[in-house]
Amino acid sequence: MSLEGFEVAVVGAGPAGSAAALTLAREGVQVLLLERGTFPGSKNVFGGRIYSYALKRILGDQWKDAPIERFVRKEGITFMTADSSFSVEYEARDPKGSFTAVRAKFDKWLAEQAEKAGASLITDSRVDDVIIEDGHVKGIIAGQDKIPTDAVIACDGTTTSLARKAGLATMLEPEEVSMGMKDVIELPADKIEERFGLDPEEGAAHVFVGECSGGLRGGGFLYTNKDSLALGMVVGADDASMKAIPSHTVMDRLRNHRKVQRFIRDGKTIEYDAHMIPEAGPKMLTRPYTGGMLVAGDAAGHLLNNGYTFRGVDMAILSGVAAAQTILEARKRKDYSAQSLQAYERKLRDEPALKDMYIFSKVPRYLRNNRLYGVYPELICNAAEAIYSVDGNGKRKIYKELRAQTKGKVSTISLIRDLLAGARTF
Amino acid sequence: MPERQEEMSLDKRLALVSFSKDPDPFIVVDTKLCQKCETKPCLYICPAQVYSWQDQLNYNTEGCMETGACLIVCHKLGAKAISWKYPTGGKGVSFKLG
Repeated sequence: MSLEGFEVAVVGAGPAGSAAALTLAREGVQVLLLERGTFPGSKNVFGGRIYSYALKRILGDQWKDAPIERFVRKEGITFMTADSSFSVEYEARDPKGSFTAVRAKFDKWLAEQAEKAGASLITDSRVDDVIIEDGHVKGIIAGQDKIPTDAVIACDGTTTSLARKAGLATMLEPEEVSMGMKDVIELPADKIEERFGLDPEEGAAHVFVGECSGGLRGGGFLYTNKDSLALGMVVGADDASMKAIPSHTVMDRLRNHRKVQRFIRDGKTIEYDAHMIPEAGPKMLTRPYTGGMLVAGDAAGHLLNNGYTFRGVDMAILSGVAAAQTILEARKRKDYSAQSLQAYERKLRDEPALKDMYIFSKVPRYLRNNRLYGVYPELICNAAEAIYSVDGNGKRKIYKELRAQTKGKVSTISLIRDLLAGARTF
Repeated sequence: MPERQEEMSLDKRLALVSFSKDPDPFIVVDTKLCQKCETKPCLYICPAQVYSWQDQLNYNTEGCMETGACLIVCHKLGAKAISWKYPTGGKGVSFKLG
């Protein structure tokens, strides 16, 4: 394939890159989509769920052709100590709002949609640098190839080398990233449905907080695929490093907990994956654009962990679309300067789904409070024990019991402060 | 307790993932600097145990999942000894079920 004559190079064929390429190709733009893996999705890992609305937005009814594992009917959260747990479950009215997926299948499929629209996909291609002339990005460098383009959209993930090379970012701080790890455990579909109380094709998403993270900031997750489970942990990179706890050992804690064993027993582990997650949000870049270049997806911190929903793919898709629309407008003006591309930032803030990132911008700081992962889950479990157990030694009223449980564990002032801050943050 | 899921070591779990070896060394560590490193954060953050310590820092990039976390913790909490880039296009880890 000749690498000349492309107007836009999109780097990275994840959800942001493929959505951007799709949007541009539909408008007749000559777009090159580059992926360093042997196929799109081969380098990607996530927990397991995609919110449907974003896919509907770019594909209409065709979104249902996506490689969907299960629609998520049940949402669960479990607080745990080593030998007890307290769970809450929500059953959704309509499960179609989100679905579980496998990135190796989903990303590949989405990139195919971009190709069908006219984008040119090249795999096995690592983009090493951007061509910069007079402070303006004029194309990309991949191995021996120098590829001049009018504009570049960098969707190259958390470690985004391109944003750094273009001077939009410095290296992330350890407290701004988390380590995500997961086991994929094979289990027959009927067993999954039985254990989680689901009808066929319905799925569950579950979060675990407490003992499983071994005192580290973080938590566990479990998603049901068609005939496998995605069981994983996410822990703060600074926390694991400074407390000298090997990150993968928290996986053993989670896996060995009784609550989790009931879900996964006699399942067969068929893959182990890991990925780094940016937690700082859009702040990780000084700005997501410069002359000739825009940054989208994880590379721009366009994702959201607000403590109870974990959103990456939907936000990546919409940030890719916003980037593409910015390019389309700039193309009409024949002006790809930084000034022309700054409309991108406005588009991000005007898009209701992406606005969530700014609304919950204080969450990362709140979630750095380690009481959330140690003392509080323990308090919840111990309070439940006190409430539900009858040992014949006399019972206290619930309020008195709760007061007794907090004694020596957390001061009343800290507790009130955390509650109030929580109310403001979420 | 009824039957449990079979325990599996990290080595065995890593053996489940496909890797294509990159002839170009994409991680290079100046291990002399590690001798003076007090925190050695790379040993703890890497989910694939690419790094190990026996009198000196040893590393084996076969098994690297390309998270890039080692670079960050080394430069911000450690001895700034690691240079890191992604493997050559098409090389390195390939997930089937990520």
